[in-house]
Amino acid sequence: MSKKLAACLLAAALPLSAGAAPEAYTVDPLHSFPYFEADHFGFSWVRGRFDKMAGKFTIDTAARTGAVELTIQTATITTGDNVRGERPRSRDEHLRTADFFNAAEFPSMSFRGNTTKWNGDAPAAIDGQLTLLGVTRPLTLAVIHWKCGPDPRAQGKRYVCGGNFTGSIRRSDYGMKFMIPGVGDEVKLWIGIEAFRD
Amino acid sequence: MSKKLAACLVAAALPLSASAAPESYVIDPYHTIPYWETDHLGFTTMRGRFDKPTGKFTIDTAAKTGTLEIVIETKTLSTGDSERDARSRTRDEHLRTPDFFNVTEFPTMTYKATSVKFVGDNPDALEGDLTLLGVTKPVSLKLLRWRCGPDPRTQGKRYQCGGNATGTFKRSDFGMKFGIGPIGDEVTLWMSFYGFRQ
Amino acid sequence: MQEFLTNPVVQGGIAPFVVAVIVVAILAKAKLAGLAVTVGFAIAVALVSGLGFTPLTATRKVVLLGLLAPLVGIVVDFALKKSRTLTAVIALCCGALTVWVFWSVLEQKAIGDALLLGGVAAVFVAWFVAATLQLAGQPVRAGGAALMLGLGAGISAILGASALLGLYGIAVGAGAGAFLLVQMLTGRKLVAGATLTLSASLAAGLVAAAALVLAQLPWYALIVLGLIPLAASLPVSDRLPIWAQAVIVSAYGFAVAVIAFVLTWWAPPPI
Repeated sequence: MSKKLAACLLAAALPLSAGAAPEAYTVDPLHSFPYFEADHFGFSWVRGRFDKMAGKFTIDTAARTGAVELTIQTATITTGDNVRGERPRSRDEHLRTADFFNAAEFPSMSFRGNTTKWNGDAPAAIDGQLTLLGVTRPLTLAVIHWKCGPDPRAQGKRYVCGGNFTGSIRRSDYGMKFMIPGVGDEVKLWIGIEAFRD
Repeated sequence: MSKKLAACLVAAALPLSASAAPESYVIDPYHTIPYWETDHLGFTTMRGRFDKPTGKFTIDTAAKTGTLEIVIETKTLSTGDSERDARSRTRDEHLRTPDFFNVTEFPTMTYKATSVKFVGDNPDALEGDLTLLGVTKPVSLKLLRWRCGPDPRTQGKRYQCGGNATGTFKRSDFGMKFGIGPIGDEVTLWMSFYGFRQ
Repeated sequence: MQEFLTNPVVQGGIAPFVVAVIVVAILAKAKLAGLAVTVGFAIAVALVSGLGFTPLTATRKVVLLGLLAPLVGIVVDFALKKSRTLTAVIALCCGALTVWVFWSVLEQKAIGDALLLGGVAAVFVAWFVAATLQLAGQPVRAGGAALMLGLGAGISAILGASALLGLYGIAVGAGAGAFLLVQMLTGRKLVAGATLTLSASLAAGLVAAAALVLAQLPWYALIVLGLIPLAASLPVSDRLPIWAQAVIVSAYGFAVAVIAFVLTWWAPPPI
């Protein structure tokens, strides 16, 4: 057997790793949304959403590494009350002011993190930092659901990874102190993501 | 002691019932926010919201009974995708067609509680009927939080009960069969609610 | 298999087309190949939503009439004498039935709005049926017209936000496509009759009207779709082979349908 042929056969016999190298993904903004919940005067948790989030991540399932970057447009906050009626302003308008998200001065908030815990082939936790109102603090997101596979909408021509992530912050850490404790300091986060492999 | 005074003292000595009779509350449309969520291709959970429902409830803590009626305008649905960009239509527009919520033909969905189960002095679960797409089926709601008290935002001038509730149903039971498989059949409801005592 | 059957391309196109081809092959001798359209329609309905009729929503009324139309078509083809009066009666009935289909929506509106919306939908469907019935005796034109009625209504409905209505319309086109393809491959004409033309025009017409009333097909796109049966009547030389006639008739209809697609795509969002 020639040297070339032997080398070829040897290479062919090596097991292919699950994800042979780091793969890059771009977040699908139409199917990825961050939600938050805060206590409202001790009576209930009130939930809201941001409508525009962009991001990307790289993931290497074989080497168990991953890095993610998410950017959220703060002005796109929506809690179901965006029409003033006879009031001076709606809740969503209030949330965009400097009392809360100060969207005019800080049009985006961002998260950057790395996967630090894995559960087999799926990431289990992402340690990173959240930058909100210009302040950067550590934030860990737990991965409560994760799935990768061909996209059935594209007859398999596109590969998708998606999941659900949770975390929580103290908004006062970022300087958002208005109306604590009426509107809770602790804010729970839930983020749903679908991303296409580049 | 005169008979009148004696009768008065006896009446005063009778323990006041927790709430002497059924109390009526009007739903606060600004803080009663129903959300729903369902599986999306197994990759992530798709969430949506309805805005400004109307309704009322009664509660009788002494007799341990209650009623609830809540009406949701289906056209207020929002999932974070309401800008077309380069597409012909948005997801929210798609959800309003006969494929899903058929809002032109069925402008409302309603929930009417038929019985309330108490744990101690507080309601814990509701049995009731959900009417969606013209079909009425039983759906139970579990109360995650419940609290009554003076509304701190009005210097106690208004009395309110508020909390959170959750429940699940199968959309196919209501005839909403489009896309079952890729989009989940089981839908989870989660809401914050408030009612102001009349 | 499960994933295959939930694929919309299969639900609205491939499955209806394949079953329709089989139906054409079996029923051609009995002059019932026109049933291919309804068979395609029924397959798509079964796969997309299931064949339930309660509660009887507007969309389910569309399905019901789409499934019953061929019965009337068969009676017309085998038992009645064709005449202008018969065509007019059938068309008027279809217009009246259109009002019945959308009654649950019309009754919610102010009387003026209800008359306008109901009137536009009813006149459109009546016209669609009358114009397509004219082609009953010309199986290549009828097949091409039905193909483009279905695709036109279906794709416009999808662009108008309803994939469900869209797949129903496309399936009508798939059934008609099977009818047309068999003629193209064999070089022999089949019998279309009212069985094909009434079924295709009523089903596709109601799908388009439903996309107007319940989704976001703009009224002016509906009017353009109404021109498809006229386009299918444009001149085609009889001396050309059947496959060429089929392609040309379909192209005429497609050109009109494309205008409807563009108008629907660019329609502004509702306020």
